[in-house]
Amino acid sequence: MPTTTQAPPEVPSRRVARAERKRRLGPLGVLTHATLGIWTLLVTVPIVWTFLASVKSEDEIFGHAWSLPVSPQWDNFARAWEQARIGQYMLNSVVVVSFSTFGTMLVGSMAAYVLARYPFRGNRAIYLLFVSGLAFPFFLALTPLFFVVQNMGNVPVVGPFIGLNTHAGAVLVYIAYSMPFTVFFLAAFFRTLPTAVAEAAMVDGASHTRVFFQIMLPMAKPGIVSITIFNILGQWNQYQIPLILLQDREKWVLTQGIADISTAAGYDADWAALFAALTLAILPMLVVYTVFQRQIQSGLTAGALK
Amino acid sequence: MPNTPQITRRELLRGAALVPVAGALAACATPASQPAPSSAAPAATSAANPFGVGDKPLEVWIFDGGFGQAYATDIHQPLFKSKYANVEIKHNSTKEITKVLQPRFAGGNPPEVIDNSGANFMDFGALSQDGQLQDLTPLLDAPSWDDPNVKVRDLLDPSVIDIGTYDGKFSVLGYVNYIHGIWYSQKVFDDNGWEIPKTWDAFLQLCETIKKSGEMAPFTYAGKHPQYLYEPLLTMAAKIGGNDVLVDIDNLEDGAWTAEPMLTAAEKWAEVGAKYLMQGTAGLDHVQTQTAQNKKQVAMLPCGSWLENEQKSTTPDDFAYAMFPIPDITSSDAMPYGTLHTQPGENFIVSAKSAHPQAGMEYLRAMLSKKAAGDFSELVTTVTTVKGASEGRDISPGVTSASKAVADAGENTVYYRWYTWYGPLNDEAKAATGQLMTGGLKPKAYLERMQKKADEIKNDSSITKYKR
Amino acid sequence: MVLFNRYRRGLFITSFLAAPVILYLVYVISPYVQAFYIAMTDWRGVTAVPNFIGLDNFQRLLGDSVFWKAVTHNIALLVLLPVITIVIALFFAFLLNVGGKQGVSGIRGSGFYRVVFFFPQVLAVTIVAVLFQQVFRPDGSGMLNAPLMVFGLGPVGFLSDPDLAFWSVLGVLVWQAVGFYVVLFSAGLAGIPKDMFEAAQIDGAGRITLFFRVTLPLLWDTVQVAWVYLGILAMDVFAIVWVMTDQQGGPDWSTTVMAAEIYRNAFEYFRFGYASALGVVMFFFTLGFAVLSLRLSRRERIEY
Repeated sequence: MPTTTQAPPEVPSRRVARAERKRRLGPLGVLTHATLGIWTLLVTVPIVWTFLASVKSEDEIFGHAWSLPVSPQWDNFARAWEQARIGQYMLNSVVVVSFSTFGTMLVGSMAAYVLARYPFRGNRAIYLLFVSGLAFPFFLALTPLFFVVQNMGNVPVVGPFIGLNTHAGAVLVYIAYSMPFTVFFLAAFFRTLPTAVAEAAMVDGASHTRVFFQIMLPMAKPGIVSITIFNILGQWNQYQIPLILLQDREKWVLTQGIADISTAAGYDADWAALFAALTLAILPMLVVYTVFQRQIQSGLTAGALK
Repeated sequence: MPNTPQITRRELLRGAALVPVAGALAACATPASQPAPSSAAPAATSAANPFGVGDKPLEVWIFDGGFGQAYATDIHQPLFKSKYANVEIKHNSTKEITKVLQPRFAGGNPPEVIDNSGANFMDFGALSQDGQLQDLTPLLDAPSWDDPNVKVRDLLDPSVIDIGTYDGKFSVLGYVNYIHGIWYSQKVFDDNGWEIPKTWDAFLQLCETIKKSGEMAPFTYAGKHPQYLYEPLLTMAAKIGGNDVLVDIDNLEDGAWTAEPMLTAAEKWAEVGAKYLMQGTAGLDHVQTQTAQNKKQVAMLPCGSWLENEQKSTTPDDFAYAMFPIPDITSSDAMPYGTLHTQPGENFIVSAKSAHPQAGMEYLRAMLSKKAAGDFSELVTTVTTVKGASEGRDISPGVTSASKAVADAGENTVYYRWYTWYGPLNDEAKAATGQLMTGGLKPKAYLERMQKKADEIKNDSSITKYKR
Repeated sequence: MVLFNRYRRGLFITSFLAAPVILYLVYVISPYVQAFYIAMTDWRGVTAVPNFIGLDNFQRLLGDSVFWKAVTHNIALLVLLPVITIVIALFFAFLLNVGGKQGVSGIRGSGFYRVVFFFPQVLAVTIVAVLFQQVFRPDGSGMLNAPLMVFGLGPVGFLSDPDLAFWSVLGVLVWQAVGFYVVLFSAGLAGIPKDMFEAAQIDGAGRITLFFRVTLPLLWDTVQVAWVYLGILAMDVFAIVWVMTDQQGGPDWSTTVMAAEIYRNAFEYFRFGYASALGVVMFFFTLGFAVLSLRLSRRERIEY
């Protein structure tokens, strides 16, 4: 549980202040905390319950839901880690998402910048082409996409690296499918930035590329950060694309692994390992989020509101 | 959000209209542009190598379900290897055959041998229609692995060949004989003095006794997967009205679902659904209900002979799995007591467009040897479709019980195939059967709904029809 | 010099656009275009060459009761998901930011609430789906049913009762979405100058008046953003339904959505042509929603 922003511990002298505030707020203030508290429980209880179930024995899992584990079964985690290969999947997810998010932000910001700041024939058309992708249901593209990637595998030289069952291939697809969203928001962001600094630099003889990387990109940092976070979340959660492109168990990402364990539980009946795997998948995300929550929240809102 | 309204509707539509133009420039990847599958030049054939196995690799995909995959790596593959040491076997397994292998077929490089089973098996009809299934007739006519004077055909029950035939060609080999019935623990029954019911009235009486005993719930089924329940329902209908009830359903005959025996069977099971189900049945899956039975929370459930192996890890040692057939419903049932639903399952196919189909067929021939089939039966405690393969083997109580039921049934076995032929009909049957059991659909409405879907499929020219 | 500068500029534009545009055309646009073609074929996914059958698939889908059921579910989600999520999130954001002292400052512990509320958002949808499958288990081992059964109320078939399952799905979607919009609206509120609230309070506005007269109008833009996001989410729902619900969209088709039917037809029935036709219909629905929401969102904004 994050405690960073929690209220300071109760000291006797605060009780007075508290009573004072209560008086001022009236019953509404109490109600406010009660309401927020209920949602807090709604959010945390299922997650905590999963954590608890992850150290239960098979018998306990099939027993009463709220019974506490008698003796923690840590080997559930060993099974989830080794047999269900959660570690491997998580590593794959990290690799794919790091590259794809980086790539998305790089090419996305380049495209967005040019489209936002350089009027030329066809600018609007290209912009709309990107943005209209927001309205495409991904499922329509699912099957043909598979063949596109498969054919990419036949391209000379680079083919073997970007075909089916390659992380690089998946990264390229992730990037492409993140374009509409990224270009749309970053272009909007670049439009809001003042032009004076860039113009001055140009007069001083800086190249377009330098202006972009050294002036505009740093200026656009709030927007970049927030869109990056959106992309990390979106790509980390991606299930459909890896489902069809990464069929080799070795290459699977975390979402596939979890869905598979859930299916597998139907045959092997190893529910304890399922809960352990869920915990392993959930915990790092919560820790990372809690550590970076300030940046994430301010980043998210900076971008979304611009 | 200042930017959203910037795009007007017209612009958005214009953007969409640009799509085809851009696409024309983009990489073409329609399936039509695929390379033709490489056809293997067969090696010379001989009596010992009847299909002409070459030295290309052999890729095998096993459905990693109730039987696991050890039988393939520990029994079948070593046996094949013993004869073809130079053929590299690429072994793979998955729980979701379709997801993994459909693209391989579409891409023109399918693996040689596939155990196309499990909840996510590939549609045999679609594969057959597209010429993806290797005609296994040569396998039937080849000498058996053990005895050159016995053909493979003679090792198999005729129903295996009948069921494995698509578009006039035998192309799907059912390896396991699934024997369906109502499963219980002999120990639990003995301890409580409960008897196997021979008539439906006795069955209901038993349910009543169990319910009153307070020991456990009388009955359950995998509520999440209602196909576990439409199975005894259809078998019961066949018992009441004869095998033709099922044949008519398979053949999409008019009024096949709404026939009188179907109505009787639906009414009987709806009554069980209303009175004797374990709490929460509708939302539990097969493992959860089967585990509940192992924990003696419920007495009976309908299942197939894979059950014992599937529950290996949770079954108490003295549980003593056993099964009984559908009881007599009326005094004038068309089929006698003991009538069973047996169906070859664990369906193996060889891909016609794979690089080395000859090796695929040879692999199946090895699987059908006495040793392979016998070892398999013992390892995964089940009955294969190979005649006499489990003779002299050490087999489990459940398999003994199921084997005895088969022997008692004699000629009176039934099966149905519509659910593999018409996927949408299967899904509708699952949806509707679940509703029947929870009381959401009355028996008559249930059957009318099924009939409507069957008619829909019959009238859809895009769906290939099958007959038996 | 001018010419050289123009050349440099052109080169720059081209070089910056080349990678994104090529990637996008190859991986996004070309599959969609092909999908439109496949929709007019009888392709079953394993054939080498699909047969062109014109609009037959579209004619067929008109009579596909399961698909239309899926459409009604998407439409229901399209209305309910944004409305419920936005109402809850606005309410919480308001409590967190303006609910405090004199209705102007944030309440104590608002940072903590904001962090916790956001938790579900960082979990992958498939994980949430598997997690809730366990939460909803229909026996004493289910997180929700265990206490219900103690009170003699259960077990409730959250996922197995066709009248309830849809609401369970909606509940999970809301559960996951709310946190993000609380943060979004909080940021929106933070952007509103404090003196606006103070001025309103001096005029004697109570908390409720404050909300409807000041907060909501000033947040209207943000609410619109939320509406569009949530609308797209509602149209695209897949993993929750496919992974969490019984019979993948059941029981009895009570939770199925367009995306699930497309997936089912393509990857379970091997009717890729037909599935693509469903995808084309979904495409026009999504486009329709986008156009509609752009239209409706034209409302004069309050400058501050």
